[in-house]
Amino acid sequence: MPQRNKANPDPLSSRQAGSSDPPAPGFRPVSARFSDQLVAVLPRLRRFARGLTGSAVEADDLVQAACERALTREHQFQEGTRFDSWMFRIVQTIWIDQIRARDVRKEEPEAEAERIGSDEPMRRVEARLALAEVGLALKKLPPEQRTALLLVTVDGLSYKEAAAVAEVPVGTIMSRLARARVALQAKLGGGRGSKDDAEA
Amino acid sequence: MQKPSAELLIAYLDGELDTETSKEVAAAIARDPALAREAESLTETAAALRVAFDDVLHEPVPERLLAAARGEVGDKVVRFPEARKALMGPGIARWRQWASLPIAASVACLIVGGGLGYLIAVQAPGGLVPQPPEQVAAANLNWLDNVAGYHKMLVNAGPNDTALVDIPADPKSGGGRKLALPQDFHLPDLKPWGLAYQGGRVLFIEGRAATQLFYTTDNKTLGPVTVVVATTSLPDKAPTPEQRGDVNMLWWRHHGHEYAVVGTANLGYLWNIHNDLAWQFDAI
Repeated sequence: MPQRNKANPDPLSSRQAGSSDPPAPGFRPVSARFSDQLVAVLPRLRRFARGLTGSAVEADDLVQAACERALTREHQFQEGTRFDSWMFRIVQTIWIDQIRARDVRKEEPEAEAERIGSDEPMRRVEARLALAEVGLALKKLPPEQRTALLLVTVDGLSYKEAAAVAEVPVGTIMSRLARARVALQAKLGGGRGSKDDAEA
Repeated sequence: MQKPSAELLIAYLDGELDTETSKEVAAAIARDPALAREAESLTETAAALRVAFDDVLHEPVPERLLAAARGEVGDKVVRFPEARKALMGPGIARWRQWASLPIAASVACLIVGGGLGYLIAVQAPGGLVPQPPEQVAAANLNWLDNVAGYHKMLVNAGPNDTALVDIPADPKSGGGRKLALPQDFHLPDLKPWGLAYQGGRVLFIEGRAATQLFYTTDNKTLGPVTVVVATTSLPDKAPTPEQRGDVNMLWWRHHGHEYAVVGTANLGYLWNIHNDLAWQFDAI
């Protein structure tokens, strides 16, 4: 049983509430409930980010950035709405920003090679499970299709929930998802998809 | 309905269509073997995608992310992206390609160490708070692996082998054991489908006792069907297809109960059984 409930009966108050001491250096006051929600959703955020970036290290960087942004915008989260969807939206927004910045920088091929090298342990495991091709096929999808696929097919969000995360109409999620699924099916063998589908 | 579009077919497989349209798509699938194969292939691809990323959920969460989630910033957390940018020029990137093996070994050690640290943190007083059951269950569909595996064993055992049925349909031979069915719950009647109830077994879903009911048929193309009934605290969920090997499943949540219909028959057939089950459950 967490001890902090005894020291701080109000779970919504700051972790520092009840203490007359100023916050320790490097410790940003954050409500216990908010932080607990964030910790609880971390595995799913990591999975989502892993699918978006295709890299274990980049995914964790992305999740860390999302956590930091969420903590600075705690006041923007509306109680009664889905915390996980809110966090997925933050992860997706940061990732899109990173892609745009990368496109502007025209990132060097060495950097790409470095990312692949640093993920070697994960890639070996994937290869052993004959699942690497899924990840590679996913990486070839346009970002918006990848997002739809990860939210709905991997994380099990409804179309409506995924549309709220991506901030697009449900119909857009439906068509992105269909193109992604057909393209993925084609890349993994068989199906009516084609390269054009993925790039549409 | 003519051949449904890819959008419609996928929305059907995702359980996102209204009942009327679902029936039309199911009928189209039942009529067209090529479409049925396509639906099956799409379902397999989706299952492969889920499996590919499932391991991430079971990995220990790095300490830096836990710290970030708790608001520990500044000196306590190394900001990896910035640190990497500062360290890495083109030359270093090239060097890292050659050095990837020893680095990989170090990373593996760090992962093991991080995992131990995580476990210690979880067990320490005032340490990490366990995930709320709702979120754990939302992210964890392992029970579907369980019921699909058991269904497969039942198929392999054949209709005359009742060793896998823990609690037979005949209450006299059940040894006093009871199924973990909700109160006032009646066993679904699937006789109109040619399915005869044989018994069931108790399993655990979301930490609660649940029941998997076995129905067999003489029709080998349809094969046996199992129905899972559980209680849940999670919100309602539209029927969602899943596949494990050649076992198809449709699972859904409704008014505090979680259900699945499992079989080797195609999804259209399972969908129709689901409709019947949903009607029977609602009538209770």
